[in-house]
Amino acid sequence: MSYEKEMMDKLGRGEPSEDRLDIPTLKYLWDASPLSFMAKESYHEFFKKITFLNSFSDNEVRLFTKFLHRREFMPNETIFKQGDTGYGLYFIFSGSVNIYSNYNSHSEELGDFVIKLETRQYFGEMGLLEEFNRRTATIIAAESSVLLGIFKPDLDRMLEMYPVLGAKFLRETALVMANRMGQLTREITAMKKKLKGLEQKL
Amino acid sequence: MNKTQRFKLYLFFILFLAAVVFAFLFPRLTLPFGFAYIFYLMAKPFTLKLTKGTKKQRIGYAVLLTVGLFFLCFPLFATLYNFDTDFSKFTSQLPELQKMLQDKYFALKVKVFEEYGIRLDIDPVNYLVGKIEVQAAALLGQFPNILSVIFEWMLLVPLFLYFFFMESHKFSRKFLDAIPNQIFEKSYVLFSQFNTKFGEYIIAKFIEATILGTLITLGLMIVGFPYPFVLGFIAGVTNILPYIGPILGVIPAILVALITKDPNVGMVHMLIIYGLANLIDMVLVFPLLVSKIVNLHPIVVVVSIIVGSQLGGIVGMIVIIPFVAFFKLLFKEIYKDLSVNL
Repeated sequence: MSYEKEMMDKLGRGEPSEDRLDIPTLKYLWDASPLSFMAKESYHEFFKKITFLNSFSDNEVRLFTKFLHRREFMPNETIFKQGDTGYGLYFIFSGSVNIYSNYNSHSEELGDFVIKLETRQYFGEMGLLEEFNRRTATIIAAESSVLLGIFKPDLDRMLEMYPVLGAKFLRETALVMANRMGQLTREITAMKKKLKGLEQKL
Repeated sequence: MNKTQRFKLYLFFILFLAAVVFAFLFPRLTLPFGFAYIFYLMAKPFTLKLTKGTKKQRIGYAVLLTVGLFFLCFPLFATLYNFDTDFSKFTSQLPELQKMLQDKYFALKVKVFEEYGIRLDIDPVNYLVGKIEVQAAALLGQFPNILSVIFEWMLLVPLFLYFFFMESHKFSRKFLDAIPNQIFEKSYVLFSQFNTKFGEYIIAKFIEATILGTLITLGLMIVGFPYPFVLGFIAGVTNILPYIGPILGVIPAILVALITKDPNVGMVHMLIIYGLANLIDMVLVFPLLVSKIVNLHPIVVVVSIIVGSQLGGIVGMIVIIPFVAFFKLLFKEIYKDLSVNL
C-alpha cells in the first residue's frame, strides 16, 4: 500500500494523521538530490563535475551556487579585455571562450590567440584574490555561452555568512593558482635551458 | 560592441535615468523608501549574522525589527520627560532673550549715535523676530499636513524596511541581471562598495553623535548648567554635520548662558565642556569610527555640505558625504581605466 493511500485511509477513518512533513528539510533533500538537476538546469551537478570544487560536500555546493551570477554572452562578445580591472572568476557553464594576449587598445586588435576554453573550465581567479588586478588577457565568447561568475563582494559575503565554506573556496583558489605558478616556473626553467643551449651553440 | 550590445547598454541607461527622474517626481514615495533603505543598510551587518542559516527568516527579521525599534525608541522615551521639561523652560525664556537682545542693540545704537553721529535706522532684532514669527505661523498652518506625512512615514518606512529585509536579495539580483555585460563587473563592485560604505558611515555618525551628546549632557549636568538634555541632544544632532556641526551645536548653549542670570551658571565651564567633548570626538571617536570610511579633503566636505543643504536640506547635508565618497571612488576607477587604455 502506498504512503498516500495509507494516509487517505487513515483520514477517512477519522484517525489522527502522523507528524507534519518538515518542508525545509524536504526542500533541502530535493535541492541536494542528484536527481533534482533533471527538473531544471542544475548548477549543482555542474559543480560536482568540476575538480576545483570536488572537496565540497553537496550542501556546500548548494550554498556556493547561491553566490554566483549567471551571465549570457553572444558569439564574439567580449567578456573582458587585457588591462581591464578584474574583480572575479568565471566558470564556463555552457559554450566556449577564446583567450588572446597582446591586445592593442588603440587599434582594438585582439592580439595573438592563446587557447580555447570549453565547458567546465574557469578563468580570472587572480581578479578575485588580488587587491588591484589587471586582466592579463582578452577573453571573447567563441559561441553563445553562459558563464557563472563570482566576484569580490560575493567572496566577502560568503566569508561573513559561511566562513568555513569561504575558507575552503579560498584554499581551492589558492591551490589552482599555486598549480599555475608551478607550471609557469617549469616553463620558464625549460625556456631558460633552451636559451642557454642556443647561447652555447652560438 | 555590436548593435544589440549597444542597444542593451543605451536601454539600461535610459531606464536608469527614468528611475532617477521618477524618484525626483514622487518624493512622498521615494523619501520614506530612501529612509527605509538607509535603515536597512545600517541593520545589514546584524541581519547577516542573526538570520544566517535560520529556516524561519521572517521571524528573525521581525525580532530584529522589534529589538531595533526598542533600542532606538527606549532612550528617546526615557529622556522624553526631561527633554520636554527642558524644552518648555527654554522656549518660555525666548521672549526674555528677545528683550535682552533689543536692549543691547538699543544701547549700541545710542553709543554709535553719540560717538560717530550716525543714526542706525535698521532694526535687525525686530526684523529677525518678525521673520521667525511668520515662519512659525506658516509652520503651524502646515501642521496637519506635517502630521499626516509623519503618520504616512510611520506606516511606510517599516513596511519598506520589512520588504528590504525579505526581498532585497531577489530585487538586487534582478537589478544586477539587467546590467549589460560590458559594465557588469565594475557596476556590481561599485554598487556593493557604495552600499557597504553608506551603511557604515550612517552607523558611525549615529554612534559618534550619541557619544558626543551623552558626554555634553553629563558634563553640563555635573557643572549644573541648565537644560542639559536639550543642549546635549542639539549638540549630538548637529555633530552629524562635519566641521560646521560643533559650531552650530554650541550656539544654543551660549544663548542660554547669556539669558540666565544665575551666577553659578558659567559660560567658561560650559565652553570647557563643549571643547573637551569635541576634543574627545576629534582625537578618539572620529579617527576610530568615521575617518577610515570617508577619506575626503576638509574643503571637499564643507563644499559638499553646502551643496547637500541646497539639494535636500538637513537630510541632504548628512547623506551627501557618502555620495561624494562614492563619486570619488567612481572617478578613481574611471581614471585608472583611462590611464591604462590611453
